[in-house]
This record gives sequence, C-alpha cells and structure tokens, in this order.
Amino acid sequence: MDTFEEFLKRVITIAFWLLLLGPVIVLPIILLVLPQFGVPVEVANRFLIALINPLEMLQFIDSLGIGPSSLFFKIAAFPGFTFAALFATLMILYERKLLAKMQNRVGPLYAGRFEGILQPIAELFKLIFKELLTPEKADKPFFWAVPFLAIAVGGAFLALIPLSPEIYIAKSEIGLVIIFAILSFTPLIVLTAGWASANKFSFIGGLRALHQLVSYEIPLILSTIGVVMLSGSLDLMKIVQAQASMWFILPQFIGACVFFVTMIAELERIPFDLPEADSELVAGWYTEYSGMHFGALQLANYIKLYGFSALFTILFLGGWNGPATLPPVAWLFIKMFVVISFILVLRGTNTRIRIDQLIKLGWVYLVPLAFANLFIALAVASLGIA
Amino acid sequence: MSFFVGFFSALWAGVKQIFKHRYTLRYPEQKLDMLMVNNQKSGGYEFDAKKQVGTAGFKGRHILYMDKCTGCSLCAIACEGIADCIDMVKVDKTFVQNKKSQFPQIDYGRCVFCGFCVDACPFDCLFMTPFYELATTDKRSFVYTPEMLSQYPQLKGEYKFMPDEKSGAHHG
Amino acid sequence: MEVVDQEGRTLTFSIGPQHPGSGHFRLIVKVDGDFIVDVKPDPGYVHRGAEKMCEERTYIQNIPHLERPVIFDSSGILFPYVLAVEELLGVQAPPRAQYIRIIMAELNRIISHLYWLAIYGIFLGHSTMFMWPMGDRELFIDLAEAIGGTRVTFSYFVPGGVRNDLPPEFKERALKTCAYFEKRLKEYDRIFFSNPMFLKRTQDIGVLKREDAIRLGVTGPNLRASGISSDTRKDEPYSSYQTIKWDIPVRKEGDCYARAMVRFQELFDSMSIIRQALDLIPEGSVKIAMRGQIKGKVGESFARTEAARGTMFYHIISDGATHPYRVKISVPSFRSLCAMPFLLKGNHLADMPAIYWGLDYWPVEADK
Repeated sequence: MDTFEEFLKRVITIAFWLLLLGPVIVLPIILLVLPQFGVPVEVANRFLIALINPLEMLQFIDSLGIGPSSLFFKIAAFPGFTFAALFATLMILYERKLLAKMQNRVGPLYAGRFEGILQPIAELFKLIFKELLTPEKADKPFFWAVPFLAIAVGGAFLALIPLSPEIYIAKSEIGLVIIFAILSFTPLIVLTAGWASANKFSFIGGLRALHQLVSYEIPLILSTIGVVMLSGSLDLMKIVQAQASMWFILPQFIGACVFFVTMIAELERIPFDLPEADSELVAGWYTEYSGMHFGALQLANYIKLYGFSALFTILFLGGWNGPATLPPVAWLFIKMFVVISFILVLRGTNTRIRIDQLIKLGWVYLVPLAFANLFIALAVASLGIA
Repeated sequence: MSFFVGFFSALWAGVKQIFKHRYTLRYPEQKLDMLMVNNQKSGGYEFDAKKQVGTAGFKGRHILYMDKCTGCSLCAIACEGIADCIDMVKVDKTFVQNKKSQFPQIDYGRCVFCGFCVDACPFDCLFMTPFYELATTDKRSFVYTPEMLSQYPQLKGEYKFMPDEKSGAHHG
Repeated sequence: MEVVDQEGRTLTFSIGPQHPGSGHFRLIVKVDGDFIVDVKPDPGYVHRGAEKMCEERTYIQNIPHLERPVIFDSSGILFPYVLAVEELLGVQAPPRAQYIRIIMAELNRIISHLYWLAIYGIFLGHSTMFMWPMGDRELFIDLAEAIGGTRVTFSYFVPGGVRNDLPPEFKERALKTCAYFEKRLKEYDRIFFSNPMFLKRTQDIGVLKREDAIRLGVTGPNLRASGISSDTRKDEPYSSYQTIKWDIPVRKEGDCYARAMVRFQELFDSMSIIRQALDLIPEGSVKIAMRGQIKGKVGESFARTEAARGTMFYHIISDGATHPYRVKISVPSFRSLCAMPFLLKGNHLADMPAIYWGLDYWPVEADK
C-alpha cells in the first residue's frame, strides 16, 4: 500500500465485489439450503431483516444466545479470550517500543502506517506459516499438550479476575484461593516441557524453572494473607470494596513489595529469567518449540502478565475505585498500565541473577518479610484502621 | 540501604533515556553524504605520487582516469599479495600514452578497500570515491571493467553525520 | 560428547563453538551438579596460519593481512609490526606521524573496550547495556573513519609514518564527541557499574591474586586489576608516549568487578590522552617518502606495544629480501587463556560467562 489513493482504490474494489456477489451467493444459501438442515425459517428471516435494519441485529444475536450479556460472549470476546489476546499483542508492541526508547534506538517501525503498530499481527502471521517441528526422540503426546495446557492455565486465571462490578466472567466467594490453585499448575507444565523435549539444555532449563517457580509460590501466597485479613473476605469484589477509603498499599507496603518481586519471578522476567538465560542455555525449556507452539507459549506468558498486573491492582492499588469522571474499567486499566510500565522498565535496567542467589532470596529474605507483613496486618486490623 | 539507592538510580538512568533524542538514520530513505570537502578531485581517498603522501577521504569505489593511465600494472602487482583483484585487460579505444591499450579491471567480490593500489599508482590516475552501495545479487556483475570504472558514480546522500555535545550526533 | 564418569557423579560436556555464549572457541567442562570440577579450553577453531602467510607477502602487503585477526582493534595489532619494520629499515617516523599514531591507537582502544562492554552486558542478561555501548561506539568509529577512510581495518599505519594527514576540522569533532561521551559514562556508571545486581554477579568471583597473576603471565587490564602497576606505554615508551601524562588505573581485588572497573577507567584515560595529543601535535610531514619495494637489512628486530587487551609483541627476522623470513606474534589473548582454567575451577557453572568474557579473551586473535 504505497499511497492513500491506491489503498482507497483497493478498499472500494473489495467493497464493490462483496456487495455484488454477496446477495447472489448468500441469499440462496440462507433461504433454500439452510432449512434443509433443520434451521427454522424464522431465524433466516430475522437474519435477513437484521442485515437491512442494523438496529435489529443486536436483538437477533441476543436471541441466538451469544449476545453481549451472555456467557459465551464474555468468555470469547470481552473480557475474555479475544480481548486478552489483543491486549497481549498490544503489550508486546509496547514492550518492544519502550525498551527501544530506553536503549537509544527506534523499535519496530515499518509495519503499519504509524510507528509499527501492526508489527505483532505481522509476527502472528509469520508464526502461523512456520513449520511445527518435533524432535525425533521427544515424547509426542506431552510435547504437543504443553502449549494447550499453558493457554488453558492462562485463560482460567483470567476468568476469575473481575474488571469492574458489572464486567466479570466468573464470580466466587473464594476467588483468591482458586487463583492460586490454578497458578500452582504452572511448574508441572514447565517440567513436562523440559522433559518431553529430549534436549539436555531444555532439561536443565526446566529444572531451574521448577526450582524457581516452586520456591516463589510460598511468598506469593503469604503476602496476600494480610490483604485478606484487612478486608475480611477472599472475594476479589469485596477486597476492592474494602479499599474505598484507603488503598491497601499503604498499610501493607512490605506485602506489596514482596508480592511484586514474586510476581516477576513467577512470570520468569528479567531479573529472574534464569530458565531462559540465552547466553547459557539457548532458550531454556521452550528451546524446541517452533512456529505456532512458540506463539502459543508467548501468548500464555503475556496473558499471565495481564492477569498478574490486574491482580496486583485489585489487591493493593484499589482496583477500579476512582473519581466518577471515568467508568471503573478505565481506572483499572490506567493503574494496570502504570504497573506494567514499571515491570517493563525493570526489564531494561537489570542483569539476571544467579540460581543460588535467587533461591536464597526467595527462602531467606522474602518468606520472613511476608511473615512480618502478616503481623503488621494483624496490628492494623486490631487497631481498627481500614 | 545502598542497595535501594543503587537500584533506583539505575531505574532512573534508564527512564531518562526515553525522553532524549536518538541519532538513528532511517536508511534507505535517508542516506549519508560521505563526501569530505578536502580539495579533492575525486571526493574520496587520493594519493599524491610526487609528494608520496595521501589525502584523507572515504575509501569507496575506485575511479580511473583513462587519459592518464599508461598500463604499467603497478596497481595489479601491489594487489597480488593482498586480495589479487586487479587484472589488466585490453580495451578497444587507443590512447596516446597507453601503447598496449591495457587498463585495470577490479573485481569487487575480492577487493578489501585497503587503497594500496592507489598508493602504488605513479601517474595519479587511480583514486577512490565515496560510493559504497556496491551490493548486487549476481557475482559476475562485481567485475568492473575499465570503462565502468572511469564513470563517476552518482552519489545520493543528503544527510551529514555531525557530532554534537548534547545529543551525541545529529543529521543536519 | 557427554561422558558420565563411573560413579555417575560428574558429567563432561562441551560448551562448544555453536553456542550463544562461547564465541568461536570450545570449553570442555566437567561439572558436578553446578560446580565446575575441571576445564580444558580447546582453542584453534579459527586458526588459519597467519604467521606462515606473512612469509609470502611483502612488507607492505602484510599490513592488510595482519590487521584481520582483530578487526575492531586493528591499530593495536598493527602498531608493533610497523615499529619493528622501521627498526629493520633504520628509520623513524616523523613527529607528527607519531602523535597521529597515538590518536589512532587510543581511538581503537576505546572502540574495543566499548565492544567488550556491550558483549559483557548481554552475557549477564542486561540488554540495555548491549545497545548503549554499540550506539555510542558509532561516534568513535565515525571519527576513525574520518582519518582512515574505512570503518574497521583502516590499513592506516605504514613503515615510515601514516598514509594520510588528519582531515580538516577533525579537532572540533573529536572534542565534541569526547565531551558528549564523558557525560554518557556517568549514565553507564549508574545503570551498570553501580547497579547492585551487577555487583552481586561480579564481586568476589574469579579472584586472581597477585602471585598467581605473575605466575600465569597475564597482561594488560587483567594484570592491573590484580594490583600490579604495569603498562607498556609507561614502562617502555614508544612513539612519543613519554610526553603525555596520565595515571594508570590499578585495583587490588583481582575479581571480575576489578577487571571491569579497570577497563571503565581506561575509557576516561584514553579520551584524556587524545585531547593531550591533539594539543601537542606539531606541524610537519606525516610520512617518509619511500619509493620502490621495501627491503629490510639482514637481522632481527622486535617491538612491544600495549594493545587494548594487553601487551602485543612482534619479532621479525629478515634476510634482506622483500619478504620477511619469519614473523612471530605474541598476542595478549593467549596469555589470558592460561588463566582461564585456573579461574573457572571451583566456581558455579552460572559464573562461566562473567569470568570468561571478563578476561576479554578474543578467540580469533589467540588463534591467529
């Protein structure tokens, strides 16, 4: 698309042919073929009316059961999978541009008319067209199952996080415990990937990831007990309601810091990205994955980043509370944007730490800090603040 | 305590860089002008055979002045141990100063752009120009005949790389 | 090749030439869990017989050939060659050429140290420290290109002087670049050299004590980081270095952090040397006119200079012909290789990148 006139010409040509051939092909299918398959004629009629009168389209979709307030829409479109995937691709682009600006260069630039905004879509197409290689000695069922399992864990994690009092996929009174239960499935996935790849570098990477993830789960859970104590419930909605007067980051500052550090360790980002130390281990536990397998693993990683930063905002930064000038969803996204920016800046300015320093940090420093935070929360709760 | 001071000052040093000017040149839309104004005839590296000293300039593609070359093949002899890329070939036109009608032909697939052929020429007829875009897709088109070497290339750069105290460099 | 020993306790494998963290060089390591028990370096992957090839080329044709082992510090590996050939011919370069040689050698030292810093950043996982030195290195490569004509491997030194004079307005450009870079070095210090994560990875790791450094024969910044104040530019001054004043950076600890800080301080020193040379440079010719083939007198000569990685030493034997009879090069990287197994034993496998690249071992130069 070199000039705007050529672009416009192409759009008009496509629209013209669609409008000409559309009715010629689509109408016979709807009116003659579909009723043979058992679709009642009223549905076909309503669809045709909805095509002409767009105001009827919403009611038609609602009657099919996939309208904006149905569960299917929530899981598939907003705030579910499609929205999370788009958010993840935007975050990949944001990360690359932010890191590029910090490193004195320009990031992706040529895909899309404005500063490379279509770069993640271009990479998605590239990954789809690549060959899915499987090593010869690999354990095939487990090797193929890992990307699906990773996305499943990411998706289940997302489903339990509400975005505002009205927008949520699943609501539960013990939401926080279910989230941690789902997250503790991740070390199994990593170990399966490392073992099933039949590659000694993947195996070492998988073992290192296992050590890291398992030792950092304990401070992760302990640091949130203070929040539960102060708000009196495990339900994420009620935690946000309890922060209406003061955000929990103020009395729980140590807990917030511990949660932040363990969050980065659970996501395997720099400075804790030892499992994928690419100057030592090529790429760690996902060395052997190529094409869309690799794309699925990266998507799962960024969906987990989205979920974790949303969780941090809900637990410590007051969730969607804010002045009524903007809808609550907008406040949540603004706070999440700040948290994600901080995580990305951390990536640009730090080196990796060694595996034994990492384990020492987790067990010797973070666990006692989390316990200290617990006692502070007890003191604050008994004094009657918040 | 010094841990946190060091940690946050590292973060701040990184964040500050986001707002600074960067000196990336968007090649191929923006190209550099490698011509150095040094009272040269060719625009690039030259060597004065009488004074036996050179003139600073960019070492790009060569330029051959056919009305001065006598075919002495000193450039080919100088290159023999380095890259062995100059051959003397016969040319159709006849020249007064070149009885055997032979001129150098340079194979840029082998040339390392060291410039010792320019140093070896005693008649000031082989110099170098600031032209650097010699890439092709066909290995045979790397061999530049004497007629091709005698045509001055078309230089296309507009931007100059100028060092600057505040922002490192800017492109004018 | 992986071999597990009889008790099943140690594993021998090779961090081989095809590895993102090893360069063109193979290390055969024997590990017990995470600790390195034994290390055998296996150099020679890029050996191409450079010293033998020198015997088939004339003295001038050797200049582009000898520059190629270390392409970004090309003046460092070429400087002792031209000094040795000048001794064979019985000439000395004019004073203006000597100061220009100092400027070019120090520019190459800065370029080489910035390349080292960039790769050190990426070995430790710090991607910003990869991009910043590479970007700022372009400013110095541009200065060297203004003098030499090409970005790397300039072929600029010849026996008898240098090939061409400095271009006009070089002094202003150099002073502006140096002023900008000194401000940048403060940022480098904040984001990398004072970063607590970096300190944790490099302090007290790979300690080379003073006696061991002398016994193993390391040279250059590695030696200065172990407490010995030795620099060929001060011990045996060549090419007018005796008129320039600076202090040699010396550190006593001998760990990876000391080696990194010595090289960081050398960046400042190189810029101050360039400024002093630009002030002291006299007018005059830059090259002794030599016509025809160079034929050295029968005999031998040697020269020693301080390249970016350490001490470089050349020994040339000539029998009066246009080609040298024998050229022997002693490179500083091979001296650091002797210290590498000594330092790696007993450390974690995860410390291997920090120690290996901290010694600034360049495999192509060591193999020639």
